[in-house]
Amino acid sequence: METTVQTNAKELWSGGDSPFKVSYGKIMMWYFLISDTFSFAGLLISYGAIRLSQPAHDPEITGSWPDPNEVFAAVPFVHGHYPLVFVTFMTFTLILSSVTMVRAVQEGHAMNRKGVLFWLSLTIVGGLLFVGSQAFEWSHLIHEGMTLKGNPFGAAAFGQLFFLITGFHGFHVSVGVLLNSWAFLLTFFGVFHRRGHYEMIEKLGLYWHFVDLVWVFVFLPFYLL
Amino acid sequence: MSNLTHEESIRRVWRVCYILAFVTIFEIAAALLHYYTMPESPKWWLNILFVVLSAAKAYYIMSEFMHLKYELKAMTLTILTPFLFLVWGIIAFLWEGGYWLSLRQLWQ
Repeated sequence: METTVQTNAKELWSGGDSPFKVSYGKIMMWYFLISDTFSFAGLLISYGAIRLSQPAHDPEITGSWPDPNEVFAAVPFVHGHYPLVFVTFMTFTLILSSVTMVRAVQEGHAMNRKGVLFWLSLTIVGGLLFVGSQAFEWSHLIHEGMTLKGNPFGAAAFGQLFFLITGFHGFHVSVGVLLNSWAFLLTFFGVFHRRGHYEMIEKLGLYWHFVDLVWVFVFLPFYLL
Repeated sequence: MSNLTHEESIRRVWRVCYILAFVTIFEIAAALLHYYTMPESPKWWLNILFVVLSAAKAYYIMSEFMHLKYELKAMTLTILTPFLFLVWGIIAFLWEGGYWLSLRQLWQ
């Protein structure tokens, strides 16, 4: 009997032991994120195909692809033409909220409940700030006439793809804020502390960084290229 | 899992934060410089730069924030190899988009 137990312990793929030395929950979060990557990639590749099927940016041609510096030039409470300033602020809130999330994970490793609460609350504030900024951006653009039906800046497909893709990303951010708030409550009531580990914060951290990662590739085609 | 101390991993996180912030500021500055000083000149070389810098940002987020650098190599490969399909997807559909444009211009 004893020999079988020992061989089983060495056979990593025979069960009971993770071959990747990662827990089941974290691996499943990774696999979910891979599938989610393909959802976003499908949307962004459609953006690329549709964009290349339209005339490239040219002020002379009506309906050509718009210049992001002309479209994204509004800053709340400030009058004037400030291209890309507000989206830089949005990008920074997301980067910083990713950093605070890693700090929450690290404090979880150190079993420091107060530290997790502090950094997780900053992450939630960053997420809310980002979604709020996106709400401002959307309402401003809709006010300017960019809707699913038309776009005063150029090709209508630009606005349609913008609302579809940033909407799907903003939905992910909103879900992340809700999940982080739920984890905040569980941390507050000491559920993870009694469990002996803060792995839930790590899994939510993976999701939150993924949202930041996707933003890099939403930011690139819509605001830079 | 990493063998880093608590202090060392905190320092690494802030270092990645500075890198991401610096790259983002550089991208915005380059885009605005082009927009204000030479809007008529071709932008393709700048676009290549933006794609490369975005890939660099993705590398830092995945390796440090998502901790992939410190996982087992088999795990990293399991996660990264499916993305090879995207290489085909990007080439095929961007090609297709250009073809749609040529058809559009043919009919006009």
